Amino acid sequence: MIRVEKVELNLVESLKRHVEALGEAFKQAIKPDRVTIEYPRERRRYPLSFRGFIIFNSEKCVSCFRCAQICPANAIQMEAHSKPYPSIDYTKCIFCHFCIESCPTGSLNSSKIHDVAFRKMEEMVVSANMMVKLPRILKEEKFTVDVIVKDKYWKLLRKKEMDDLSIPPIKVEVPKKIVTCAEPESCLGCRLCANVCPREAITVKEIEVAKRVVSYVLKVLTEKCVGCGLCVRQCPMNVLKLEVVK
Amino acid sequence: MITEWQSLLPEKKLEKKYFGILKEIVIDSKLCSHCAACAAVCPVDGISSGDQPIDFPNWTEKCVDCGACIKVCPRYDYKPLSGLGDYIEIFSGRSKRFVGQDGAMVSEITVSAIEMGLIEAAIFAGRSEDWSTKIVTIKSPEQLKNRKVTGTKYSYADVLIALKEAVLRYNSVGFVGTPCMISAVRKMQKTFKKFERVKLAIGLFCTENFYRHDLYDFLIEKKSVNLKNVVKTDIKKGKFIVTLKDGRKISFSVKELEEIVPSGCKVCQDFSAVESDVSVGSVGSEEGFSTVVVRSEAAKIVADYLKEKGYAEISQTSVDAIKKLCDYKVKIHPYPKKS
Ligand SMILES: Cc1cc2nc3c(=O)[nH]c(=O)nc-3n(C[C@H](O)[C@H](O)[C@H](O)COP(=O)(O)OP(=O)(O)OC[C@H]3O[C@@H](n4cnc5c(N)ncnc54)[C@H](O)[C@@H]3O)c2cc1C
Repeated sequence: MIRVEKVELNLVESLKRHVEALGEAFKQAIKPDRVTIEYPRERRRYPLSFRGFIIFNSEKCVSCFRCAQICPANAIQMEAHSKPYPSIDYTKCIFCHFCIESCPTGSLNSSKIHDVAFRKMEEMVVSANMMVKLPRILKEEKFTVDVIVKDKYWKLLRKKEMDDLSIPPIKVEVPKKIVTCAEPESCLGCRLCANVCPREAITVKEIEVAKRVVSYVLKVLTEKCVGCGLCVRQCPMNVLKLEVVK
Repeated sequence: MITEWQSLLPEKKLEKKYFGILKEIVIDSKLCSHCAACAAVCPVDGISSGDQPIDFPNWTEKCVDCGACIKVCPRYDYKPLSGLGDYIEIFSGRSKRFVGQDGAMVSEITVSAIEMGLIEAAIFAGRSEDWSTKIVTIKSPEQLKNRKVTGTKYSYADVLIALKEAVLRYNSVGFVGTPCMISAVRKMQKTFKKFERVKLAIGLFCTENFYRHDLYDFLIEKKSVNLKNVVKTDIKKGKFIVTLKDGRKISFSVKELEEIVPSGCKVCQDFSAVESDVSVGSVGSEEGFSTVVVRSEAAKIVADYLKEKGYAEISQTSVDAIKKLCDYKVKIHPYPKKS
């Protein structure tokens, strides 16, 4: 940052500054400096925290809908693929990237692309399969510009290279969760949890004594449970919960 | 981290799914009290209640055979309770804050319990314009200023269905119910831990209750009274009294209602709700006061609190008058039924 300081009104200092100013004027007349970046021939090197066009990794997505729920602009719709994946309406997106931050598996990520252009409004609804890689954009630039700040002075450093516009994926720790029973004493014995489980991760064993079924034993097969939470929502007595396992 | 647990099943008295057993032994045998505890716990929401006999259409297919309904039914393995039961104290009271059926002590006890932090919410049976019952969850005193929320409705209400939803949401709840509902909740508490969250069970003195449509039709046909024009219904000294919007009162002997008394009430001998934390009724008190029978320690604390705060006017109770009605109910509702 450059701070403007009060000018010393002493003669020697004043002369020195005049000389400096003349020198600068002379220099700029011969080899002018620029503070503006000549986009699109040049492109500024954006930081890794840049909030640009959103990239999607379907392999990581668990279809939890969190991105769609958190979007303050209501730009995200879940669309039907093999399972629900997000689509982004860029007529609405405000680039807040709450979706990326809320994604529990890191399946959404930013890029350094800010210049996505569309020919029609309809095209601005970008579906999941259009987000899996960087969009093809016309790159006209020859230079990448770094802004260098040193002491009180800053300057633009032009390099004849193309910046990679992708941002490496954020490392997200996805904790493994499984369902457990928080209050067996309130279990109705309805077995709806076992019925709803898509992975057959909850088993029911009927215990018989003298040819009479006296109880059901419910068991979570921890290796099969993926922690989707369907059973938790199904349980009429709210006795199931998801717990993180190491 | 519990990943393996057990749910015990009740013994099957018949070779049927559990609802089939409940249907044969309780409902078809005319023992059902219509407390709707079975409907409250049914995991597939298959059991219907409301203004019609308890039923589970399609039970042969849809019943998941968990036995929860049988576990909580107060009329399964029915052993009638009767008498005045155990109590710590009996007094008569008239609330200074609320207007209710008698002394509005039910409302007063509820609000005091919420104020003290004993309960977070309470389930009440309110009503709509046409006297169909409507469940209300009480969380603040203002709600009890509504005269449709306080006062007695002589028809079945789905209190326990709302109570089940409430225990999933709140850590401590209260409710108001007829003696059969109180007994049902005690059974629910014994079988399913979640219901321990019911911290205050306020029982009402009760001789019998009705299906709303029966009462509605009776009043129209026999008394030319439309319930929609009624502001209060009451039973006092053997008389059913309806107060109309224009202030007129019509009264007749409750014996005339005999034909519409549901069969399940005819086997009930519990007048004073002996299993409640506190029971409230009109018998035993002078006009405008409610009789309060404090049974549990928790209820005693609430009663002491509201007396200390001066929320209610306190008066004497005739215990003999209550006992007389307890005995009367046993007499008119013999069980096992004489055939
Ligand atoms: C069906 C029925 C029969 C009764 N029979 C007698 C009797 O024979 N003798 C007697 O002395 N007292 C009887 N009572 C009790 C009496 O009518 C009063 O309810 C009681 O005295 C409390 O009055 P209160 O002013 O203190 O209550 P309020 O403060 O007016 O509160 C009334 C409470 O009753 C509840 N309530 C009203 N209708 C129902 C219903 N259908 N199901 C569940 N809860 C309901 C409301 O939710 C509310 O909490 C009966 C009550 C009912 C519901």
